[in-house]
Amino acid sequence: MALLEIKNLHAEIDGKEILKGIDLSINAGEVHAIMGPNGSGKSTLCHVLGGRDGYEVTKGSITFDGHDLLEMETEERAIAGLLLGFQHPVEIPGVKNIYLLKEALNAKREAQGLDEIDTFSFMKQVRELVASMDMDDAFLHRGVNAGFSGGEKKRNEILQMLLLEPKLALLDETDSGLDIDALKVVSDGINRMRGEERGIILVTHYQRLLNYVEPDFVHVLYKGKIIKSGDKSLAHRLEAEGYQEILEEAS
Amino acid sequence: MKRTGLPDWLSDALPEQAAAPNEIAQAARSQVESIGLPGLRDEEWRWTNLRAIQRGRFNAPSGVGADIEPGTRLPLDNPVRLRFVDGVFQGVPDDVPEGVTLTALADADETTRAAAFSPKPAPSVDNPNDALVTLNTAMAREGVVVDVAANTVVERPIVIEWLDGATESVMSHPRVLVRLGQSAAATLLEHIETVGEQPAWRNSVIVSTIAANAALTHIALGLDGESRLTTARTFAELDRDARYHSYNIQLGGRMIRREYDIHVGGSGAHTDLIGLMMPRGKQLLDTHTRITHAAADTTSNEHYRTIADDAGRGVFKGRILIEEDAQRIEAYQSSNNLLLSDNAEIDAKPELEIYADDVSCSHGATIGRLDQEALFYLRTRGVPLAEARGLLIAGFAQEVIDELPLTDLRDWLTGQVEQRLGERSLPADSDA
Repeated sequence: MALLEIKNLHAEIDGKEILKGIDLSINAGEVHAIMGPNGSGKSTLCHVLGGRDGYEVTKGSITFDGHDLLEMETEERAIAGLLLGFQHPVEIPGVKNIYLLKEALNAKREAQGLDEIDTFSFMKQVRELVASMDMDDAFLHRGVNAGFSGGEKKRNEILQMLLLEPKLALLDETDSGLDIDALKVVSDGINRMRGEERGIILVTHYQRLLNYVEPDFVHVLYKGKIIKSGDKSLAHRLEAEGYQEILEEAS
Repeated sequence: MKRTGLPDWLSDALPEQAAAPNEIAQAARSQVESIGLPGLRDEEWRWTNLRAIQRGRFNAPSGVGADIEPGTRLPLDNPVRLRFVDGVFQGVPDDVPEGVTLTALADADETTRAAAFSPKPAPSVDNPNDALVTLNTAMAREGVVVDVAANTVVERPIVIEWLDGATESVMSHPRVLVRLGQSAAATLLEHIETVGEQPAWRNSVIVSTIAANAALTHIALGLDGESRLTTARTFAELDRDARYHSYNIQLGGRMIRREYDIHVGGSGAHTDLIGLMMPRGKQLLDTHTRITHAAADTTSNEHYRTIADDAGRGVFKGRILIEEDAQRIEAYQSSNNLLLSDNAEIDAKPELEIYADDVSCSHGATIGRLDQEALFYLRTRGVPLAEARGLLIAGFAQEVIDELPLTDLRDWLTGQVEQRLGERSLPADSDA
């Protein structure tokens, strides 16, 4: 059974249909890239998967790890192992990173029937991850994303993923706005997440990220539908020929 | 409009002999009898109704309750305690730090008492908006004078314990004078606590003068308590290079009105006014601040936050006046407010009055609900809705708490806020 199974998904916001019949199947161990021009529905797909208010699914189904995803609250999806990496991570001054990491990890552990993590092992694990993302320990005691640069915010997203070890990581434009050093650190983090038991979806506008994280499958999203799927060579074609060629071919 | 004057029970309570020098007391007395208490028609009182006081029929303290102790222990390092039970001063402690002189107001000489009743900026004795100070001047018999000698840095916090409500329907009008000599530094902390179930009204005034290069840190910490009615006013007069740092934390009370008048009167002087008010139930927590930049090259920084829950009401009005000759001023004010329920109310008003031309001044006021983006973000990390709300509310308060200078007190307050959030009846609000 696939880890994520999306069937004929239609979704609208404010009465306007954005997703117009998406079919997508993702297995554990696979990395999928979803590419598409602006306005194709990439972010809407991410928000629908995350369970954000204001998006109405009018048709279709989403099954995640055997659960009906659309019946689950946002936090239940996260605890079940679906983690969303934000295109624009939200700044939450006053809530320290370290608190969020601990709350999130303990919420997951509680669902698994485990005790709260002891502070010593928690801090050890977190410090190692912070170092691996080329970040400073001081960041742990700053407000979540508060005053962070674009690159720091994206590193923080990956850091959370590495700690929370999702079954499916859904990364919405994690590469946009990153300079090359930050891109390397972020890509390295994503590559470390790759594994037999985990699925990864990279939603991206640019092909550049895929030079650092090689996808197993590439899908082209256009006007709310996946119009073409292929292997990583499809991404290279998009880069070389642009969307227009592919769009014409698909129609 | 004809004013109604003082209610009879209050008029009857005016003493023959007050602590203020006779001339000052007499003037105050005759004025307050005619202007009475402030009402909703008075500009500074339009959001705060004193009906509970008008109708209260409060009595002067009887001197009962000398053995009353505060119920809450604050984590303070060897504090100097100045205890007031229902406004009655319980005496000067034995162990006073070097360079500090403590005198009961009644024992102070005439010059000192005159200083205690002549704050700068001077309130006008016939202005209804200032009627409560005038009333205090007419009524005050209890109080204390804190003198810190020049070049003395007092490490121990000087704590005024206002223990209100020990006896039934009691009112008090205490007056405190704090004087810091040149280059002195001290921390004054008001520990405000309701010690009984009885309604009590305290109308207190603190007058402080901060000499050149001296620094006064003034923390006002009002603990929760349903029955407390407070009208409190603080005056601070700053000389050259003086600093006045105010932290006003109000966690409850039935009706709490605090006013700060800061006269930044010497060049190089600076004031910070930091505040956090958390009304819930049917509480009304109100702070009015007025900063006067009367000298060039002075700065002020003001940051107030209110979190209103249930049918709680928060009021903040911050006035900044920059006088004509006060050039090169930097004055910043922000007021951020969080409504947690449909029945809560917050009124926030900045007021700038600028007569100088070389001024850098900014203000901003926001009133909103919990940030839905932030709530969603936390939930996508697996944090349940109720906890996510709690994190955001605590985080909003924490940004003010983090500005407090005493680390132990900061941690204690963080704990208090967390405890209160745990007591929230969920789901009371509609911001899900």
